[in-house]
Amino acid sequence: MTAINSTSDRSPADRRKVSILSRFWAWEGSGVLVALVVLTAALALATDNFLSSYNVSVVMRQAAFVGLVALGQTLVLLVGGIDLSVGAAAGLSATVGAILLTQLGIHPWMIIPLTMAFGFGLGALNGIFVAGLRLNPFIVTLATWEIFAGLTLVITKGYPIRPLGEQFGVFGKGEILGIPLPVIIFLAVAAILVWMLTQTRFGRNIFAVGGNRDAAMLAGIRVRLVEFVAFGMAGMLSALAGIMFASRMDAAQPSVGEGWLMGAITAAILGGTSLRGGQGSIVGTVLGALLLAVLANGTVMMNVSGFWQRVIVGAVVLVAILVDLLRRRR
Amino acid sequence: MSSSVPVFEARGVSKLFGPVTALSDVSVTLNRGEIHSIIGENGAGKSTLMNIICGRLAPTTGTLLVDGNETHFRVPKDAQAQGIAIAPQEINLVPDLTVAENIMLGRQLGGAARIDWKATRANATRHLHQVDHTIDPSAKVSALSKAQQQLVQIARAAATEARIIIFDEPTATLTYREEEALLSYIENLAREGRSAFYISHRLEEVRRLSHRITVLRDGRHVGELTPEEATRERMVTLMAGRPPKTGAQPRREIATTETVLEVQGLSRAHEFRDLSFALRKGEILGVSGLIGSGRTEMAKCIFGATRADAGQVRLNGQPVRFDSPLQAIQAGVIYLPEERKQEGIFPLLSIAENTALPTLDRFTGLLHLRNREMLAEVERLAIQMKAKFNSLKDPIVSLSGGNQQKFIIARWLMRDAKVLIMDEPTRGIDVNAKFEIQSVLRRLTEERGLSIIVISSEMEELLDVADRILVMHEGAIKGIVNRSDATQEGLLRLAMS
Repeated sequence: MTAINSTSDRSPADRRKVSILSRFWAWEGSGVLVALVVLTAALALATDNFLSSYNVSVVMRQAAFVGLVALGQTLVLLVGGIDLSVGAAAGLSATVGAILLTQLGIHPWMIIPLTMAFGFGLGALNGIFVAGLRLNPFIVTLATWEIFAGLTLVITKGYPIRPLGEQFGVFGKGEILGIPLPVIIFLAVAAILVWMLTQTRFGRNIFAVGGNRDAAMLAGIRVRLVEFVAFGMAGMLSALAGIMFASRMDAAQPSVGEGWLMGAITAAILGGTSLRGGQGSIVGTVLGALLLAVLANGTVMMNVSGFWQRVIVGAVVLVAILVDLLRRRR
Repeated sequence: MSSSVPVFEARGVSKLFGPVTALSDVSVTLNRGEIHSIIGENGAGKSTLMNIICGRLAPTTGTLLVDGNETHFRVPKDAQAQGIAIAPQEINLVPDLTVAENIMLGRQLGGAARIDWKATRANATRHLHQVDHTIDPSAKVSALSKAQQQLVQIARAAATEARIIIFDEPTATLTYREEEALLSYIENLAREGRSAFYISHRLEEVRRLSHRITVLRDGRHVGELTPEEATRERMVTLMAGRPPKTGAQPRREIATTETVLEVQGLSRAHEFRDLSFALRKGEILGVSGLIGSGRTEMAKCIFGATRADAGQVRLNGQPVRFDSPLQAIQAGVIYLPEERKQEGIFPLLSIAENTALPTLDRFTGLLHLRNREMLAEVERLAIQMKAKFNSLKDPIVSLSGGNQQKFIIARWLMRDAKVLIMDEPTRGIDVNAKFEIQSVLRRLTEERGLSIIVISSEMEELLDVADRILVMHEGAIKGIVNRSDATQEGLLRLAMS
C-alpha cells in the first residue's frame, strides 16, 4: 500500500523500477548479495590476481564444502530448529565411508550414496529426539555432536584413514569444464533445494511448520515428519560434504568437520535465514557461504594475519544483522 | 469531577506511522473521579491513543497535559511518574514468578541492600484482594487461568497508586461473576477520586460504567456521548460510520433429520465428561459456554488433536476415531481454532498460500506447483466469500481480522468438508464483518449442505446464527435448546443450573 501511494504520481516505468528495487530489498538475500559484490570489487581492485581463474576456483571450492553443510542447516533453521552436530556428523560419516571403501572394498561409485544414507541416519537420530520426543534441538544436537565426534575418535583412534585411492579421488579433485566437481555438486544441490522449497508440498510445509507450528498441526500437516526429514537431510548433506572432502584430501581426517558448524550457521544467517524459523532462502545461504570464502581468501591475499580473520568474520556478521534490522524496518 | 482543570488532557494529538495515519487531531479530557470510555472498531486508533497516554508511543503532533501542565513522556516510566498506569489487554506477566512478585515487579519494598519481602507481599496482597479474593498471592502466575492473569495485571496497575488507570479490554476473558466484581471495583476507584480510561467492545458495560463515552473511527474523534445518549444503535452507528448491518439470520426449519456427526458419552479427564449430542445435516449448532467450560477441549478432542478417555464419535453413522487432525481432515471434519493468530494463520506466508496450504496436493504437477491454478481457485472462493484484498500474494497479516477469517474458512472449502467446527469465529472482528461471516456460514449450510458447530461466549451471536444451542458449563452439557425457545436469560439460567 505504501509503495502504491508514494509512486502514484510517477510514470509506469519509474514505478516498475521502484517496485523491483523494493522487491529486491524485501528479499532475505539482498544484503549478502550487495556485500558480496562490494567486497569482490574491492578485492579485485586491491589485488592483482583475486579474479584469476585459479583463485576463483579456490574460493568456490572452499565455499562448496561449508556451503553444503550450510544448506542442510538452512533446512533445519527453516523448520524452527538448529543442528549443532552437523560438523561432527560430517566427520563420522567420512570415517564410515572411508572404512567401507578401504576395508570392505565397496566400489568407489557406491561410497557417496552409502555415506549420504548413513548421514541421513545420523540426522534422523536428531530428528527422533527433536520431532518425536519434542526435546530442545539445541540440547539434543549438543549431545549428539559429542557422541558423533567421540565415536569418530573411537573408530579411528585419532589417525586419518588413508590412502583412499585414485579412482575415489575424482569426486573431490575432479573438474568439469574447469569447474571443480565439489562446486558443481554444491550448486546442483542448491538448485534441487530451491526447487523443493518453492515447488513441492513438502517444501511449502517446511515454511508452514517453521512459521507457525500449531497452525500447521491443525491444518493437517504432518509436522513431525517434516521436522524429522529436515534433520535427516541436514545429516545427509553434512555427510556429502565430509566424504567429498575426504576424497579431495585422499584421507578421512577425524577432525574434518570441526570448523564447519560455525561457518554453516554463519552462512545461513548472513543469507537472511531467521533463527526463529519460517523465513530464509537457499540462494541467500549460497551467497553467505561465498561471502565467507571470499573473506577468508581476501584476508590471505591482503596479507592480513590469519588471526584477524575471525575478528573480521564476526564483525561482518554483526554488520549483516544490523543491515537486516534496517531492511525489515523499511 | 468538582475540579475545573482536568487531571489529564490530550490536545490535538496525531500519530503517523510512515505514510499511515493512525490518529488524526484527537482531543480527549479526563476529570478527577471520572470513567471515560473510548470505543471504536478494530483499527480505529484506540490502542494508539492509549499507548500515547501511557508513554509507549510519542505523538507526531499535539500536546499532553497533566493537571493542566504540558508534559512529554519519553518512556512509560515518565508517564508512571505522573501517576498514569495501564492494565494492558495482552498478558504481560513473568510466568515463573509469584503473583505477589509480579504485582510489585520493579517496585519491591525495602532498602537498597535487600528486599523487604514481607512488606512487599502484604502490599501486593492488599491490592490483589480489592480486585479478586480467590487468587493466591503466592501462586505462580503460570498456574493461573487467563482470566486470573488479567485480574493480576489490573491489581498491578492499581498497586502503582496511579491516579489515572487505563483499562484495555479488561473483561474480554472474564466470566460473568468476575466481570461484575471488576466493574464494581472500577466504580469504587472512581468514587475514591481516581480516574480511568476504559476500552471495551462490550457496549452494555460501557454504557453502565462510563461517565462519558468517546467514539473513534479511522483515527478520528467522531463523537462524545453521555451514557444517557449512548444507545446501542447510536454507538454502533458512530463506530461504523453507518447504521449497523447487524441482525439475526432469518429463522428456518431444518427439514432433514439426517444426522452427520454423533457424539456419545465423550469424556476426557479434567476437561469434560459424558458429552452426547447429534449434529444434523445442514444445521448450525451453537455451543454456549465460557472459557474453561470444556467447549474448546471438546472440539479439539473430536478433531483428533487430543484423545478421549471414553465415549465415541460417529460420522454418517460410522464410528470414527481420529488419532490426529490429519485423519479428521481427511474424513471431512474441520476445526477452526479460537486463537486465530497463534493457531490459525501462517503470518509469514501470503494470502493464497495460507488458503491453499492444506490442499497443495491438488495443485502439484509432476515437477512444480501450478501457481496460476491455485491463485484462480483461491480468488474464486474469495469472491464467493466477499473477501476484500489487494493481491492474493500479499502477506495474510495485511488483512483485517474479518478478512483473515474468511480466507481461513475458504481454506477448508477447497476440500470436501462435511463438518466445520468454529471456535469463536468472530472474536476481535468488527460489527459489520461479524454479520458478513454469519451470513457466509448460513449460506454454506444451505448451498453446500455443510454442518457447522459454532462455539461462542457471546450469547447474542449464537442467538443470531444458530439453529439449536447447546449449553456447556464446567465440562458438562447442561441442555440443548431450539433457537425459537432460547433467550439470553434462559441460556444463562441453564448454564448456572
